[in-house]
Amino acid sequence: MNAGPLLATDRAALILQLVPYLIGKGEVSLAEAADAFDVDPEHMRTMVEKLTVIGLPGEGGFWQMANDLFDIDWDLLDERDLIVITNSVGLERTPRLTAREAAALLAGLQLAATLPGVGDSGVVQGLLAKLARGASSAPAELIVAPDGVDDVRVAVAAALRAGVALSFTYQAPDAPATTRTVDPVKVHIASGQWYLQGWCHLRAAVRTFHLDRVSDVRLTDVAITHGEENVPDLFEPADTDVAVDVRYRAASAALLADYVAVDTTSVDGAFETARVRVGDARSLKRAATRLGGELEILAPESARQSSAAWAEAGLAQYR
Amino acid sequence: MAKEPTRTAPEERLVNLVVALMATEQGLTKDTILSSVAGYREQSEAGASKDALEKMFERDKENLRGLGIPVETIGDYADPDDLRDARYRIPTAEYELPADIDFTPAEIAVLNLAGGVWSESSMSADARSGLRKIRALGIDVDAPIIGYSPRINLREASFAPLHRAIEQGRVVEFSYLKAGEDAAVVRSIQPLALLEYEARWHVYGIDLAAGEPRTFLLARISTEVRITRTSFDLALRDGAGERALTGLTDLAARQRALLEVEPGTEASLRLSRRARPADQGIHVPYVDIHILADELASYGPEVRVVEPVALRDEVILRLERALALHTDVRTTA
Repeated sequence: MNAGPLLATDRAALILQLVPYLIGKGEVSLAEAADAFDVDPEHMRTMVEKLTVIGLPGEGGFWQMANDLFDIDWDLLDERDLIVITNSVGLERTPRLTAREAAALLAGLQLAATLPGVGDSGVVQGLLAKLARGASSAPAELIVAPDGVDDVRVAVAAALRAGVALSFTYQAPDAPATTRTVDPVKVHIASGQWYLQGWCHLRAAVRTFHLDRVSDVRLTDVAITHGEENVPDLFEPADTDVAVDVRYRAASAALLADYVAVDTTSVDGAFETARVRVGDARSLKRAATRLGGELEILAPESARQSSAAWAEAGLAQYR
Repeated sequence: MAKEPTRTAPEERLVNLVVALMATEQGLTKDTILSSVAGYREQSEAGASKDALEKMFERDKENLRGLGIPVETIGDYADPDDLRDARYRIPTAEYELPADIDFTPAEIAVLNLAGGVWSESSMSADARSGLRKIRALGIDVDAPIIGYSPRINLREASFAPLHRAIEQGRVVEFSYLKAGEDAAVVRSIQPLALLEYEARWHVYGIDLAAGEPRTFLLARISTEVRITRTSFDLALRDGAGERALTGLTDLAARQRALLEVEPGTEASLRLSRRARPADQGIHVPYVDIHILADELASYGPEVRVVEPVALRDEVILRLERALALHTDVRTTA
């Protein structure tokens, strides 16, 4: 019952944004406008067509006259998929940001400010003030706590800008340290963790590196050759992943999602059993002790045993 | 050429209403609106009851205000509560993005990045919509800031109702499971700010039982958040985000754990970013003892807690439970 009017309100909000956009553009293709409004081209065509029944109220009991309504160049739209407004009756200026829109952007800006070269440029401070002033009412305060910039992050930013490979020591958990040369492609920042995705010269493939595990970083003078590489999503499962069966309290399911891709689950009272995929079965011992008692590794046996040994070795320090 | 009357979609009626209310200086009465604005007019002429139309108008007005559109009511000066002859209008100056706000190409490039950070769909839609409004100003964009994909993760269902309650200045109630305790306690707070700190969302507000500001972890809210009808003064929100952040930073400065770490291990790499060297090991500041204990337990033999004792006990507890679970006979054979 609520969905109807809500959707209509959202559609009205889109029309209020569409008019100034179209007027600003003068002439724009259906495809470009659709892209800008996150809708498909046919939806955009309908929106533009419907615009022509919107206008000023009729006067003195008469229906609206043509020049009281928005109008478009129908030939251009029908024949060439181009949008041009030929008569406008208001709404030419962009509406203010809603409190929510401002809040969403303000929080995003605080995160963007942690990037080397962005936060220190003064741009963010100016934007914070402008967004607050451009909102229709005071946005709720959403704070993203700042995070320190370090040498590794600065070096990665410099390599990205200069388009050169980076060389560094990489210490993956439970593996010997290696020296890597990497063409940087993308830095992912998720849950406060920084990851570099890039073309690893050693592995001759795209790899992801947690920046906390990177040290002795330096820029090379080797221009990157794989900068345009299509990188997979950060935690996209890989072919090399291994399957592990786990059992955990259903309430902890969200916690588990932080570590692994969950395949199948079956519920058994307050517990769930799932098959999860991980890059390295050894890494799950860390999740097992972190979630101490909330997560049981059922199979393979080796992963189960390494969890027990990991907990045992940890405890031995306190005996 | 006059248009044939057809049934008007509700969004068209809403936009017609905005156009009409912005075109008038002195305001339109409800009667004028219902008999002349397309969308109401057809229904009026088709014999819809005045009562039904007035209700529709009230709803439309509220929906527009929900979009941040300032629908102004000009009442009777002699009796402001008498709305029979009230006039309605939308003041252009309050509707439009102020003409003197402009954005440089460099600012637009940063905003484009900022608009893409939300993983949660409703915040993401709001950010994109805001960005679209700014882009409609027709500003050139600098070369995009490439090579970065910053994300704000948001899994907690309590975020949306808390955000709404902060906007509206309403008291909320929820059950909160304090770490280390078994029973959740119902809390009643005036929510003032939401804060992401160390990748976890917190709500900061006045706890009505304690009469003091408190910070709560969203992950520990164990029921739905109920927005009550009790409102509070929106001025309480001023500077609340800053106070919340200072509160957590001060807490982290006061609480620190003394740890011994095995060099070259995952524990050493991950902790050293936050640590300061101590005589015997390293000092790591923390906000929540249970969250730090979770992390330290994951490092197994790579780290040993020297103090505080409470933290040490929590880590040992997790290790013991994990050991018990993996050495006993398996739960399912």
